[in-house]
Amino acid sequence: MPAVEMRAVSKTYRRRRRPPQRALDALDLVVESGGVHGLLGPNGSGKTTMIRVLLGLIRPDSGEVRLLDRPVPASLPAVIGSVGALVETPLFFPGFTGRRNLQLLAETAGVPRARVDQVLEIVDLADRADDRFKGYSLGMKQRLAIAAALLKQPRLLILDEPSNGLDPAGIRDVRELIRRLGDDPAVTVLVSSHLLTEIEQVCSSVTIMTRGRCVAAGPVASVLAGRSSGDVRLRVADRAAAAAVLTGAGFTVSPDADALLVRAVPAPAEITRLLAQSGHYLEELTPVAADLESAFLELTAEPA
Amino acid sequence: MTAVAPPPDVVQPAGRFSGLLRAEVHRFLARRFIGLLVALAALAGLVGLVIALLYFRSPSSEGIAAARAEIDRVVAEQEQYRQECLRDPSLPAGADPADFCGGPVRAADFSVADFLHPEPFSLAELGTGGAIAVAVACSALAFLVGATFVGAEWSSRSMVSLLFWEPRRGRVLGAKALVVGGASLVLGVVGQVAWLVASQLLQAVAGDDQPLPDGFWGELSGVAGRGVLLTALVGLLGFGLTNLVRNTGAALGVAFVYLVIAENAARGLLPRVQPWLVTENVAALLQPGGMSIVLDWDMPPGANPATWQPEEHLITNLHAGLLLTAVTAVIAGVGIWLFHRRDVS
Repeated sequence: MPAVEMRAVSKTYRRRRRPPQRALDALDLVVESGGVHGLLGPNGSGKTTMIRVLLGLIRPDSGEVRLLDRPVPASLPAVIGSVGALVETPLFFPGFTGRRNLQLLAETAGVPRARVDQVLEIVDLADRADDRFKGYSLGMKQRLAIAAALLKQPRLLILDEPSNGLDPAGIRDVRELIRRLGDDPAVTVLVSSHLLTEIEQVCSSVTIMTRGRCVAAGPVASVLAGRSSGDVRLRVADRAAAAAVLTGAGFTVSPDADALLVRAVPAPAEITRLLAQSGHYLEELTPVAADLESAFLELTAEPA
Repeated sequence: MTAVAPPPDVVQPAGRFSGLLRAEVHRFLARRFIGLLVALAALAGLVGLVIALLYFRSPSSEGIAAARAEIDRVVAEQEQYRQECLRDPSLPAGADPADFCGGPVRAADFSVADFLHPEPFSLAELGTGGAIAVAVACSALAFLVGATFVGAEWSSRSMVSLLFWEPRRGRVLGAKALVVGGASLVLGVVGQVAWLVASQLLQAVAGDDQPLPDGFWGELSGVAGRGVLLTALVGLLGFGLTNLVRNTGAALGVAFVYLVIAENAARGLLPRVQPWLVTENVAALLQPGGMSIVLDWDMPPGANPATWQPEEHLITNLHAGLLLTAVTAVIAGVGIWLFHRRDVS
């Protein structure tokens, strides 16, 4: 059962004295249950709008949305108790303590008070729980927001840009927490981010969005494989001679620090054969793996 | 960080309305600014009581005798003026001298308390007026409380957070409105009880010896009851207006502009709309028997100035109550409807 399912979802914002802005453009997206799913896209790609649609904050103009196998927004009240969410900025009363803020939310959802202490412990805020929210650092505010999202023991946890504004230690803690949450097979974590490294580090699957559409989706490894460059990096004793041999065979070769970069190699064994035949023996031959950044930039590039 | 508890296997719905309501009560009680407003109001009431205790004095028998003598002098003087008026040959043609000059002046028409210095507190004379003043003050406070309660939710954007927990927006606002209405009701009751206690204290310490007129307690209870109703309605009005504009300051600005500018302009330019103005209806709701207002001060051409009476209109308590309830319901209802319809970002 998919945790999230969106079919042909569109949303256009009508703005005064400005042209309408299409935030979602017939978006199709499926997030299977379990693991950590990344939602990657540049700013303005529609990630936050998509999350707001999922949570019933924004009504789509058209399309079908299902959350934990229930239609949204019609059946949202039936599943909201299993959905934890952190959307953009943490929203709490600044004058209340962290604990008080969580207690009020727990009451709203009928969550036992003991759970408040548990989640404060989970996000390492137990020691500062009785300080006022307005005195918290950005990292602490974000951790409190994640604690709030965890109050309900969610089956689906939606985190929108969870590392925003955090210091390196805070980012590390949050990513570690997300990874740990994703280890639980009963929990699906949906993380939106514009940080490629974050998605690469914590997610098992990814959807790349741009201009309100999904342009690639699947396990991170598959998305990367689909975008594999076919380039190889090689190291030989005589770089100039080796480059001449390969260029003569029709390859595009360029220097790369103390190695050579050969573009678009259909079969790396061909490189080995050519160089060996001309007396150049390889010290290293490494396929240049496509990283998520390359895939992301390629997929989200503005049309010319 | 420690391990995370496993989530339940079944999908969990939103919490019950009772839980939401309880949380809203706690949110309301935990709001420091609301506590500060109430504390300041209580302090102002206490200061007012102290000033009243210093201002009023129970009269001595000598003071009462002097006041009565002064009343007799004023009565004699007024009667002399009346007789001169009746004998005046320049009375307008067709005018009834008795109507034109008024009836005989009697000592019973004057209150002894008005001629005492310092004057005593008179529950018979000030009881109802005090209850009206308290109702107005409590209503103003309730407006601020209702406005700031929901305004803070919008400014901190915790209204959006709440929707992650209870996506039924009507329930979210309904719970808040119930809390504001209930709190305003309590505020109104406490205010009226406080006035009752304070007035009894003033009467005991610095009161006059006038017996209370027949029907006094019934009239006072009526004013107090309608005052409590007004406080609850105005609290909800503050809530509804702020929810509509989603900002406390903007709501206060709108209320100020409407009451001070729009209503005054309407009174001057369109006097016939007065029975539908909020201020007139607030006054009519509180005053025993309602309030008469003059709809037209312009004397028609050819009318006899001696006999012409301006057109009056009685705004009854019922009319005022219904109108204020309708205004509150419309403003709060539109706010809830828009919240239900609009995207939340």
